Amino acid sequence: MDKVIIYAAVNTKIRALEKDFLKREDYLNMIQKKSVVGVARYLKDNTSYGKLLREINIDNISRRDLEDILKNNMIKNMDKLIYYFRDDYKELIRSLYIKYEIEDLKILSRSIFNGKDLETIEKPLSFLGKYSRVDPKILFKSKTNRDLIYSLKGSEFYEFLIPLVNGKKENRFRFEMALDMGYFSIIQSRKLKISREDRKILKKWEGLLADLYNIQWVYRGKKFYSLSPEELLNYTINFGDKLTFKKRKAMCYTKNLEELYKMITNTIYGFLFKKEEMSRDIYMERRINRFMYYKLKALDRQFSLSIIQTIDFVWSFEFEIRDIISILEAIRYDIPSEEARKFLVKVA
Amino acid sequence: MSVEKMKIVGVIGKKNLLSKVLRLVLLNGSVHTINALVRVNSSDFFLPPSEKNIEVLEELPFLKPCSSKKDFTKDEEVVKSLLSLFDIKPQVREEYLGQDYNYDDFMKHLSEIYDRVHSTADEIEEKMRSINKKREYINSLKYLSRFDFDIGQLICIKHLAFRLIKISRENYDKLKKNYENIPAVVLKLAVESKYVIVVSITPVILEEILEKIFRSLNYTLLPLPVEFTGTAVKVIEELDSAIDKEEKVIESLKKSLEDYKVKYIGELKKAYSRLEIEKKIEELKSDMANGDKLFFMFGFVPVSNVAKLKSELEAQFGGDVIILVDDVDKGGSNLHPPTKLSNMKLFKPFEILVKMYGTPAYYEKDPTIFFGLTYMLLFGAMFGDVGQGFILLFAGFILELVLKKGSLGGVLSRIGLSSTVFGFIYGSVFGSEKIIPPLIIRPMANINYILITGVVFGIALILGAYIYNIINSGIEKNVERGLFSRNGAAGLIFYLILLYTVFRVVVTHSSISPAFIYIMISLLLLMVFKQPLANKLIHADKLYQKSPANYYIEEGFGVIETLLSIISNTLSFIRVGAFALNHVGLYIAFATMARMMTTSWGSLSILVLGNIIIISLEGLIVFIQALRLEYYELFTKYFRGDGIEYIPAKIKVLSSTGKRISLFHKKSIFCNIGNIYLYNIINLKWGS
Repeated sequence: MDKVIIYAAVNTKIRALEKDFLKREDYLNMIQKKSVVGVARYLKDNTSYGKLLREINIDNISRRDLEDILKNNMIKNMDKLIYYFRDDYKELIRSLYIKYEIEDLKILSRSIFNGKDLETIEKPLSFLGKYSRVDPKILFKSKTNRDLIYSLKGSEFYEFLIPLVNGKKENRFRFEMALDMGYFSIIQSRKLKISREDRKILKKWEGLLADLYNIQWVYRGKKFYSLSPEELLNYTINFGDKLTFKKRKAMCYTKNLEELYKMITNTIYGFLFKKEEMSRDIYMERRINRFMYYKLKALDRQFSLSIIQTIDFVWSFEFEIRDIISILEAIRYDIPSEEARKFLVKVA
Repeated sequence: MSVEKMKIVGVIGKKNLLSKVLRLVLLNGSVHTINALVRVNSSDFFLPPSEKNIEVLEELPFLKPCSSKKDFTKDEEVVKSLLSLFDIKPQVREEYLGQDYNYDDFMKHLSEIYDRVHSTADEIEEKMRSINKKREYINSLKYLSRFDFDIGQLICIKHLAFRLIKISRENYDKLKKNYENIPAVVLKLAVESKYVIVVSITPVILEEILEKIFRSLNYTLLPLPVEFTGTAVKVIEELDSAIDKEEKVIESLKKSLEDYKVKYIGELKKAYSRLEIEKKIEELKSDMANGDKLFFMFGFVPVSNVAKLKSELEAQFGGDVIILVDDVDKGGSNLHPPTKLSNMKLFKPFEILVKMYGTPAYYEKDPTIFFGLTYMLLFGAMFGDVGQGFILLFAGFILELVLKKGSLGGVLSRIGLSSTVFGFIYGSVFGSEKIIPPLIIRPMANINYILITGVVFGIALILGAYIYNIINSGIEKNVERGLFSRNGAAGLIFYLILLYTVFRVVVTHSSISPAFIYIMISLLLLMVFKQPLANKLIHADKLYQKSPANYYIEEGFGVIETLLSIISNTLSFIRVGAFALNHVGLYIAFATMARMMTTSWGSLSILVLGNIIIISLEGLIVFIQALRLEYYELFTKYFRGDGIEYIPAKIKVLSSTGKRISLFHKKSIFCNIGNIYLYNIINLKWGS
């Protein structure tokens, strides 16, 4: 099919929706607020979220409620976009949910593991079931992680998790790793009927993601978990844009962190390790996100009528919500606004 | 009026009767429940202060929503396992529900039965598990069957650890590429779709390291039996015979259950029905209110069903419940009565097409008859053909009677009938105009006449729509809409004068009288000032609902829209004539092609094909076009469709023999989505 037919309508819709994104000064203003309610009021009075919050009494709104409202809004918008696509493209757009659902599943599993009352989880877990199509109510009924895995039966996550049940030891680390590996395995192994150009773009984009996550993984694995090189390698994502298997293997078998830094500094991903030691741990996530944010914008310009506009929109939406949540968290932990700014993705 | 009148029925009684009352209500199936608290708090709720009511009046101010939710998971489990154990089909049957029983007692009895058969069932399950385990062993052993050595020995080696595992291909790839660093001998045995089966042998001291590595590959351990010796093939044989033995044991256990089945079959059959209705009852309870000792239930009931419900309640509960029957109050109540349409059989199927646009409000005049009549005329006029109409009629009957798709089949058979009638008028049979003479006219021979007739017919319909709107506004006492709006009296007079003027200019070629111009301008002014005028007339507090500036900008453009829409609405009906012509034209095309064929079989098949295409394709187009005329030119004028559909609480039961059970749910969302979708299609594709 011609790409104009596929993308003309949806890209127009996206352009219109993008007008609603927060502006730079919105973030700077919100960061000055002293309370969750303050931020909520700002969103209600000054931004496009006003429509969303109009019916809601924000005088005693909690962080979780606000987060839930924002995330549901994102879901609503994503669902709207799906209607613009046909056949396998529908599947492709739906698969953008995988990442978010996995994040929520991890939080749920962590809460179950810690024996927390599921009613009181701080995060709203709005994305459960969006990809797997499992009823969240069933998931919430799980008393153990084993229950949780069985309740995912029928979804694509199940096959990655079921080995955990049979194994001798079932722990949270493996649960999370299995889901993460599952994510990349799903997006890698699906056979979608999409145009050649879109395939190329997706390969590039997913490859970049895999590279960044692999570096982050090897770094963390070495620094915090002290895993053996074999395990590190086995847990890496099995594809990439710039990093071949050989390079990944070399990264895993470096003798110490210094050697790893040196190896990475010579690639385009050198920015991850710049500056002093401290900032590496705290800001790595943000650096990755900012890199991807700008990379998306660049790809967006490069391929004007393609799948990347939709991906860009969804990710930008995510970053916006992530930033609002960062601001809320900064308020909670009394982080000064100058410091808090350093955690935002969309605003430097 | 074909919107059925409603009454509000209230039932008040002791709390322990609530479940039984609701059971009766569900079986009766005519109560559209409403929130009891809303009803009690509405201004027209009144309870005479008699001695009988004194207890009720005492409790009235302290009502709470019925909050306790019963959990049915355990009951469901019991019923489900009993049904599957005794192989009973889950069916909801009326005869099990009408009896007088107490659900909790019944369930208690049932779980006693369950406990009794439980141990046998457990034993069966235990055996099943053991069989499954053995099957798993067999599965794993199959991978080793090509090796001719003693499995038992291999598994029990002291210093070497042997294991059989399954990993994904992707991860096997990683393992292979890093083989030099793996502290084990690894051998690939088989590949199965996404997975690779692998054996590994490693010294016991290194097993822990290997375990970590395998774990990071997300492996699944395939179990191997330890207590057997011999080659894999031999072990498999042994396991197979063990399975056979166990299966025989299961058979005999199942037989012993048969006795229970004979004994308790009656109770067991009741279980599913009673559980299902109990669940519905729990669902209904969210609309109930509870006092200290009493419960309150309210719902709308069609007038024709009130007596039956009342007598049923009285027969079962006598003086234990208070039954209130109130008229639906027009003004004060904040409860909107639901709409139950009841039309003649001829028009009934068209209700679905009306509801697709919107359910008529309770006080609105039901447009179904007007819609049905005009829809049949429009369709017939556009698709007039004796043969093809008859096929539609026939297809409609098949849908209705054989496939039980009542409304769609009903619509199809009626428009088919209309098409047949128009076929005689046009003298057309399967497109051919040579078989019968026309009763009135041949469209192709009188093109102008047909087109103008279409418009004249349209004008008649539009006038009907005006009148409908004025009546509806009269019922609603909406002065603004009824008198001054562009679809009200002012609009009607404007339209009539305009028609007269056009008629004079075009037909009699006389000049326009200036008096008419003045009247028309003043009518337009009336429409512009409709809101302040209406509010003045009814002495409302405010002249404008919004800011006057906004109002006048809107209404200013409204004038242009009025003029445009009058013209476009009227001319829109030209398509009625155009499609009548199109119908003939399409046939002519196929007839020409048929004549070009050399064999008579060829031309016949072209004609058959042509007719199929005309019926399916043109039939669909005309179906949609007629719908579009109804919705856009007519419904927008007079029909608001913001009513609530009457959905009584009920449970569908099988009386004696039947096929499936289905439970009604209070809101049929999917139906709405479907409607919006179709509505949009029509809007996008066929909008004027």
